[in-house]
Amino acid sequence: MSEIDTTSASKTVEFRGGGFAPQSRKWVGVAVFIVLIGFVELGTRVGFITNLTLPIPSDVFATFVDLWQSGLLWKHLVPSIMRLIVGATIGVSLGIGVGILIGLFSLIRAGLIPLVAAIFPIPKIALLPLFVIWFGIDETSKYALIAFGTFTPTVVATYGAVDNVDRSLIRMGQSFSLSWLSIVRKIVLPGAMPGILSGLRISLAIAIILLVAAEMLGAEYGIGAYILEAGSLYDLERLFVGVAILSILGVLVSLVIGMIEKQLLSWRV
Amino acid sequence: MDLRLESVGHHYGDMEVLSDINLDIPTGKIVCIVGPSGCGKSTLLRLVGGLELPTTGRILQIGTPPADSINPLTYVFQDFALLPWRSAEGNISLVLEDHKLPSSRVTEIIADVLARTKLTEFAKAYPKQLSGGMKQRVAIARALAVNPAILLMDEPLSALDSQTRELLMDDLVSLWTREPFTSVYVTHNLNEAVRLGHSIVVLSRRPGRIREIVDVAIPLGDRELGDPELERQQKHLWNLMRDEALAADKELLHV
Amino acid sequence: MKNLISRRTTLGLISMIGATAAALTSAIPAYAADTKINVGALRFTSHAASFVAFERGYFKDEGLDVEFKFFQAAQPMAVAVASKDVDYAVTAISGGLISLAEKGAAKVIGGALLEDPAIDGQKILVSDAAFKEGITEPAKLDGRSFAMTQAGSSFHYMGARIADKEGITLSFKPLQKVGAVIGALKSGQVDAWSIVPHIAKPLAGSGAVHIIGNVADYIPDYQVTVVFTSADKAANDRDTSMAFLRAFSKGADDFNAALVDRTAGDEAAEEMVKLVHKYVYTDRPYEKAAPSIINGAMRISPNAALNMASVQDQLDWFKAEKLVKDSVTIDTLVDTSYTN
Repeated sequence: MSEIDTTSASKTVEFRGGGFAPQSRKWVGVAVFIVLIGFVELGTRVGFITNLTLPIPSDVFATFVDLWQSGLLWKHLVPSIMRLIVGATIGVSLGIGVGILIGLFSLIRAGLIPLVAAIFPIPKIALLPLFVIWFGIDETSKYALIAFGTFTPTVVATYGAVDNVDRSLIRMGQSFSLSWLSIVRKIVLPGAMPGILSGLRISLAIAIILLVAAEMLGAEYGIGAYILEAGSLYDLERLFVGVAILSILGVLVSLVIGMIEKQLLSWRV
Repeated sequence: MDLRLESVGHHYGDMEVLSDINLDIPTGKIVCIVGPSGCGKSTLLRLVGGLELPTTGRILQIGTPPADSINPLTYVFQDFALLPWRSAEGNISLVLEDHKLPSSRVTEIIADVLARTKLTEFAKAYPKQLSGGMKQRVAIARALAVNPAILLMDEPLSALDSQTRELLMDDLVSLWTREPFTSVYVTHNLNEAVRLGHSIVVLSRRPGRIREIVDVAIPLGDRELGDPELERQQKHLWNLMRDEALAADKELLHV
Repeated sequence: MKNLISRRTTLGLISMIGATAAALTSAIPAYAADTKINVGALRFTSHAASFVAFERGYFKDEGLDVEFKFFQAAQPMAVAVASKDVDYAVTAISGGLISLAEKGAAKVIGGALLEDPAIDGQKILVSDAAFKEGITEPAKLDGRSFAMTQAGSSFHYMGARIADKEGITLSFKPLQKVGAVIGALKSGQVDAWSIVPHIAKPLAGSGAVHIIGNVADYIPDYQVTVVFTSADKAANDRDTSMAFLRAFSKGADDFNAALVDRTAGDEAAEEMVKLVHKYVYTDRPYEKAAPSIINGAMRISPNAALNMASVQDQLDWFKAEKLVKDSVTIDTLVDTSYTN
C-alpha cells in the first residue's frame, strides 16, 4: 500500500455495469392496463373515439355484470369449459403419447415426423365442415377440432423434450441394468417434463383460440358462440365481454400450468 | 470375480482408438488407467462395463460375482449422473427398485450406504441443494448400494475442486480399507493415480496401447500427501507421458 | 347514450345544411361528371334489380357511375356500409344491421325483396332423414333443430315466427354460412331450414331435402331484404340516394315484368335471364343456370317501397329476443323520408 503515491490526483472508479438485468416490476403491467382502459373510457365518453370504433369500457363491464346476474354466463361458460377440457385432454394425451413414441423409436420417428409436419400448418378451422360430417354436428366434432388443434403442437413439444433428456442419465440407467420401462418411466418422462409442460402452455392457448372456431357450427351456447353472435349483431359490448372472458381463461390456464410446474419441477435449479 | 481383457481393440469408423489391450484386473485391487487426452481411456471403461462392444478381442469375467451383487459391473461417472428430480435416497433407491427386493431390505441398504459415505443427514436433500463433492458421494453411495463386484470409475473426481478432491480421495481410501473392492479407475490426474492405484496402466496416445504397467507397493492407507516415494512414482509416470501428451496435444490441432 | 344523442343532433344540423347544398347541386347541368358509388351485392337472383339497372344503363342515366363490390354474405356487407367502403347495399334485416343503425352508422332507405302470396317465395325445408321420420309439415317440427347462419339472421327470424305460429319449439343451430347449412341439411345434421326458392328447389330436386311449406304462410308480406346506406349518405347525400333508388326501382320493374309477373313476354324473360346470368351462377352454363334463375325470381318491391308493418314486426322480434337494444325504434332503423 505504501508504494502508492497518494499525492497524485485520484477519483473513484466509474460504475459502468448497470442495466441489462431484468427486474421484477409487477405493477407496471397493471398500470398499462389501467391507463389504456382509462384512455378508451375517456375517448368514448368525450367522443373522439366513436361508438362504432370501440365500446365504452364501463358499458362492457355493465354487460358482463348483466350476463353474470342473468345466469347466462354459466350457461355459456360451462359447455365451453367442457369442450376445452375434453378436447384438450384427448389432444394433449394423444400428443404426449405419440411424442414419446417418436422420441423413443427411430422407426416411428421416421414415419411420423413428416406427417406431423404436414398437418401442423393446416388451419384446423378449414377442416371443421369435414369434422361435422365425420363426427356429427354436436359435441363430438367440437371435441375433435380442439383435440386435433392441440395434438400437433403437443407432439412437437414432447418429442423435442424427449430428445433433450440428458443422455448421460439414460446411460447411467443402462449401466445399472434398469429395465427399458424403468428408464422410460423414471428417467425419460420426468426429464422430458419441463419441455412437455412448456409445450402445454402453447397447446392450451391454441385450444382457447380454437374454441371460437369449434363453436362456429351448431353451438347454441358457449363463449365462442357468444362472441360470434355478438360479432354478427355488431354488438361491441358483448363482443368485448366475450373476448375478455377468453383472455381471463388464458390467464387462468397459464396460472394453473405455473402451479403444476412449481409442484412437479421444484427440482429444477 | 476377476476381469481379463484379451487383445481388445476398438474403432470408431475409420479411426482406431484402442489397439491390442491385454490386461488383468484382479479381485480386491484398484487398477488406475492414465493416458493423454483422447487416448481412449473412457472408451476402454465403457467396453469393460458392456456399454459398448469392442471391435476386436474380448473381455472375460473370470469366476462368478458374489451372490448378493445386484449389479456386478457398476459405474461412477464424472458428471455424477444423478436424477435431479429425486432426493439422495431416491437416487439410490432408483437402482434397487427393479430388483424386487423387500422394502425393508431396500431401506436397510440405503441407510447403510448413506452411512458409509457420511450422507445420513442428507438423505432427503435434492441434487440442486448439494455441492459437487456431496453429489459425487451420493453417486458413490448409489454404486455401493448394488454391491458391485467391480466399480468402474470414469474420472470421478475431475469435476471437483482440489480440496474436495483430496477429501473424497481420503473417503475412497477409507472405504477400500474397511472393505476392499475391485475397481477400474480412469483418470488424467497422476496424483490420483498414485494415491489410489495398486497398479497404474499407462496408455499411449491414440490409438491407445499399453505402454507400461506401474505397480505401487505402498498400502493404500499409508499413502500420505507429499510422500517422497509417491512423488517419485508420479514423476516417473509424468516422464512416460510427457512426450505422448505433447504429441497428442499437437495431433488434436490437426483434427 | 349521451354520445348518441349529441351525435344525432349534429346529424340533424348537418342534414339541414345538406339539404341546402343539395338544392344547389341539383342546379348543376347533367353533363357534369358522374358520381362514383360502390354498390354491395351478393351473387343471388334476389340482387337482380341492381344488375339490371347497371346493365341497362339506368344508373348512368341518373348520373351514377356504379362499381359493384361482391360479398359472400350479407353480414360483412352491412359492416362495409358502416365503414363507408360500400355506399349502397341490399340485404336482409338482421340484428347486425339494426345494431349498426343504432350506432348511427346505417340507415334503411327502401325495400327490395318481398314475399308475395301470389308468387313462389321462400320455402321451408327438412332433411331427408327428418322427412322419413314423418316430418311432413311445419307443425311436426316440435323439438327439432332449425338451421340459421348466425343468431339474429333472417333465418333465425323466420324460424322463430314459424315456431310462434305453430306453437312449437325449435332449437336453432348457428352454422355461419349458407354452404355449411346446406351441407348439414343434406347430411341430416340439422332437421329444418328456410331459404329463397332458387336455392330450395334444386335442393329438393336432388332428393336430399324436402319442401314442407312456404314462409309466406307464416309471415305474410314479409319484407325480406331492404336497401340501405350509411346514415351519413342518407342524411347528407339525398340526391345520390334518390337517384340510386330511382334507377334501382327501374331495374326492379324490368325484373318483375320479365320474370315475376311475366307480362313482358318470353323473349324479355329470356333476355332477363341472360342478363342475370352474367352475375349469378357464372360458373354454370346458361342451360343449367336458367331454371335456377327463373325459380329464384321473387318480387322486388316496386318503387323500392318498404312494408313498414313487416319491418316493425321484425324489429319487435329482435327486441323481444334481446338481440338488439330496447332503445331502437323504427326511426333509428329507417329513414322514413325516403320510404313514404
